[in-house]
Amino acid sequence: MARNAHPRAMAPAKPGSTRTAPPRLPDRFPLGGRYLAYTLFDWTGILYLLLGLLVLCAVWSLGSGESVWNALLERHRSAPYIGFHAIALVGVVFVGIRFFGFFPKAQPPRIGPLKPPPGPVILAALYALWIGVTVVLTIVLAGGARG
Amino acid sequence: MKHPLLKLEPLIWLLFGQGILLGTVLLTPWLLVVGLGVPLGIVPADALSYERAHALGSHLVGRIVLLGLIALPLWKGAHHMRHTLIDLGGARRDAWVAPLLYGIATAGSALAVVAVVRL
Repeated sequence: MARNAHPRAMAPAKPGSTRTAPPRLPDRFPLGGRYLAYTLFDWTGILYLLLGLLVLCAVWSLGSGESVWNALLERHRSAPYIGFHAIALVGVVFVGIRFFGFFPKAQPPRIGPLKPPPGPVILAALYALWIGVTVVLTIVLAGGARG
Repeated sequence: MKHPLLKLEPLIWLLFGQGILLGTVLLTPWLLVVGLGVPLGIVPADALSYERAHALGSHLVGRIVLLGLIALPLWKGAHHMRHTLIDLGGARRDAWVAPLLYGIATAGSALAVVAVVRL
């Protein structure tokens, strides 16, 4: 038996004249069956929000001078930061694989006068972009591009 | 509050979508090098020396990349968290959750602009 969802979860802005049954959450929501991947994908929002704030903190530190920047790098060496970044990397890879997987399926039949490319082509292009940017930026950041 | 948010929905969706696409693409190398590589000693520490990091970050391309690296994940995070909270708790508290989360993303994006300009 499905349990009751919040009665106003799907309520329209203006109540209609037709009475409808209250919405019900599916039995296995949020962590059972196929809902697990859906829920985890949504929860990566927390990781992205924190990552955005951490990168902001890093860039702000970089603009604040050498001692502040070095203090930030020192904090990054602590176990909590390393642990968070490891979890975040898993989360980011999960988001990429899941999003790139359904991106081709979400294409409209036509984009203006053009038909979108076949799904496998879109998928290959997305992975090429992801891997290419990752390789180039990793090399640049890690110092491989130094003359 | 619902009406203005509905009006802004296309813009929020654009930023959310780019947060997933470009945010994921840009965050991967950031995490590999800044988050894990240098702290774990896999990448030499002088790769992120102040002079080098500042030279990379203050370049025009560096500023644009850093701006995207901050703002886009914030919008992805805010939008996904909003919908997670609607899924789990209903739409009633969305009246304050949505402005709070989008407010964080807006303020963070504005601070990101300041942060890259002052490099």
